[in-house]
Amino acid sequence: MPRRVTLAAALVAVGALLLSACSAGTSPSPSDSSAGPADPNASVAVRLVSEPGNLDIRQTAGAALDQILIDNVYQGLVSRTPQQEIVDTLATKHTVSGDGLTYTFTLRDGVTFHDGQPLTPADVVWSLQQVKANAAYRDSDRLARVSSIAANGQDVVLTLSEPDSTLLWNLTGRAGLVLKEGDTIDRKTKANGTGPYTLASWKQGDSITLKRNESYWGDKAKAAEVVLDFIPDNQAALSGALAGELDVVTGFDATLKSQIEANGTFSLVLGASTDKGTLAMNATHGKLSDVRVRQAIRQAIDKKSIVQALGAGQTLYGPIPELDPGYEDLSSTAPFDPDAARKLLAEAGASDLTLTLTIPAFYGTTVSQILVSNLHDVGITLKVAQVEFPTWLKDVYTNKDYDLSFVLHTEARDFENWANPDYYFTYNNPKVQDLYAQSTRATDPATSADLLKQAAKIVADDQAADWLYNGASVVAVGTNVTGFPSINVNERMDLAQLAKS
Amino acid sequence: MIRYALTRLALLVLGLFVASALIFLTLRILPGDVAQLIAGLNATPEQVEAIREHLGLSDPLPVQYAAWISGVLHGDLGTSLLTGSSVAGELAQKAQVTIPLGLMAMTVAILVALPFGVISAMRRGHADGTALSIGAQTVAAVPVVWAGMMLVVVFAVWLGWLPAQGFPRGGWTDPGAAVRALLLPAVTIGVVEGAMLMRFVRSATLQATGQDFVRTAAAKGLTRTQALLRHGLPTVGLSIITVLGLQVAGIIVGAVVIEQLFSLPGIGRMLVADVGNRDLPKVQGELLVLTGFVLVVGFVVDLVHRVIDPRQREAE
Repeated sequence: MPRRVTLAAALVAVGALLLSACSAGTSPSPSDSSAGPADPNASVAVRLVSEPGNLDIRQTAGAALDQILIDNVYQGLVSRTPQQEIVDTLATKHTVSGDGLTYTFTLRDGVTFHDGQPLTPADVVWSLQQVKANAAYRDSDRLARVSSIAANGQDVVLTLSEPDSTLLWNLTGRAGLVLKEGDTIDRKTKANGTGPYTLASWKQGDSITLKRNESYWGDKAKAAEVVLDFIPDNQAALSGALAGELDVVTGFDATLKSQIEANGTFSLVLGASTDKGTLAMNATHGKLSDVRVRQAIRQAIDKKSIVQALGAGQTLYGPIPELDPGYEDLSSTAPFDPDAARKLLAEAGASDLTLTLTIPAFYGTTVSQILVSNLHDVGITLKVAQVEFPTWLKDVYTNKDYDLSFVLHTEARDFENWANPDYYFTYNNPKVQDLYAQSTRATDPATSADLLKQAAKIVADDQAADWLYNGASVVAVGTNVTGFPSINVNERMDLAQLAKS
Repeated sequence: MIRYALTRLALLVLGLFVASALIFLTLRILPGDVAQLIAGLNATPEQVEAIREHLGLSDPLPVQYAAWISGVLHGDLGTSLLTGSSVAGELAQKAQVTIPLGLMAMTVAILVALPFGVISAMRRGHADGTALSIGAQTVAAVPVVWAGMMLVVVFAVWLGWLPAQGFPRGGWTDPGAAVRALLLPAVTIGVVEGAMLMRFVRSATLQATGQDFVRTAAAKGLTRTQALLRHGLPTVGLSIITVLGLQVAGIIVGAVVIEQLFSLPGIGRMLVADVGNRDLPKVQGELLVLTGFVLVVGFVVDLVHRVIDPRQREAE
């Protein structure tokens, strides 16, 4: 067996070389990007990395569910555009009272669910109420400041106990989805929404098929069918794309750019995202409780080389990415400077420091290799513990038993975690908690964003963690495909405009 | 013979029981649980606890084991914690990919191993025999993943003859498409397993050549090759049955890797996903069925061997 392993390693290396060699050698065929008119009967095959455990969007976590179901199958009163603006969807308009305590939504007429039942104001009231009432539902607490939900004719009125600048945004997510009251479908495997696509089938371990909703209230989806293929392996996705079996590859590895673009049928599209490669530092652990040590770690890390190695994304020095309100360039809080890092470590008496980095195995080794080498350079020995995600959830997330941890936090507008001392970040600063609370109570978006900016600056100054990079949405799109979203695709993916010729 | 079969059967049942306990206990060593995974990041400990309670994960281990085994004895392999679907149903679904894949891989392995094994034995000492032998050593050492990648590059990406990944959505409603989807993965496993099997065929053939009855047959005027083919090969075939039985486990392991590489919705890929999701009742059911399958194959091989090989009966 050991003999096989050695040989295996050697052969894989040779194989990788061969593979890159042959792709580079293939001369690009004349691009047929003269994409003809969209075919209304087209079936578009889209690769997704991960499959949801089940389809119950009220209970089950995971970005895959948001990607697949929100906007496409389920809708709320409001939704967000790729540019992160809030727009009316099942509401035709909404108004917010001057004191920020009353939200009035006028419900769109003539909307039906996929099973043919009409959408009523009562459905909306029930949907919001059940999320609010059931603490086990995800995002239930996002409606905490809503004190009453009532229908008034075609209007739905939300009354708040205090202003909540995050409410509209939260209603564009899971907390605001509108379901049919009294539906008896098994939500783990079926869905009944109002969106431009219906859920046609789910073959577990393989694919989900969406079909155009022919009785949709708005502009109908451009493709007759979208097949979402779950292919975790990047190599399999690449082969599938090159063999013409996939039309769009999401979550692609940007370093494989030249391979997928080699024969001219695909091009790589990079879009902004709210993915934050977060290096959490457990300030309750040993030397890490010393802010100088944390700052030294941050200053020892060369962010530019990480972004370069990943082939996409940009540097990030604070908890808020550019797409979210409250962003500011915080690179001055910990610029790359190994000499300064060594000095800080010496001051803190932390020579010969050994730390463990706990990282879920599916992130690969690129980031951890750079960290090991950067930290070694300033005298810190970094041990890398690659673990399965459930192990990470138990050790790091639940028990907070770690030194350093790396996770890609994809959620938009999730600054709240820095204001939550119980979160696994272990960051506890009452000033930040207060600023965050003020920001949510603000009635004016600009004020709210400014308060977030102040809070984020404090978090970065406290060296609460390091933000290694702000990821990009990397999608390989077939040259005959149009309308695939490019921004923040890892979180949401509106497929209504997707078309193929 | 009947006594032998009954003893062997009792051993099989005991083996299954021990396997069930081992499967159950070893899975409990894995850290993390499905409740945490369902709740995900940003969930409070209370939310996770509520889900855990709801799924029955807070029961003591012996209670969980007893519930599982009594279910199995009543023909119920349990249900998935995550999806609520039945384990038996999912297995039946995924077996439509994995079993044909295994059979095709086995066929390829035999087609590679038998002729080349016999030839390389008969050509021992000649350059071509040695070359074959070295070739087999090399191929047997190739990791399945690499072999698969190479085959995909050549036959799917360059030539475009066969699909690079996936299984037809309609399953076996279009048998041609289904077979095409399985061809590359089956050849991948089959060639590597076949090369290992070939080394075995070679040594079994060499051994047969030295047997008295083959030499006797040769002395009676048959050429060495004739003697070997008529009298030696049946004994080679016999020992190959045993080795093939053992290969079953190897092919299942190969399927786990290959289904991942080719994105085939089979048992191997399901198993990997379920372990990752900590859907333990489902993993338990799947592993028990797979273990049972391998044990039953071993049982059948033993019986067949006993029936067709007179020497073993005499030894009793």
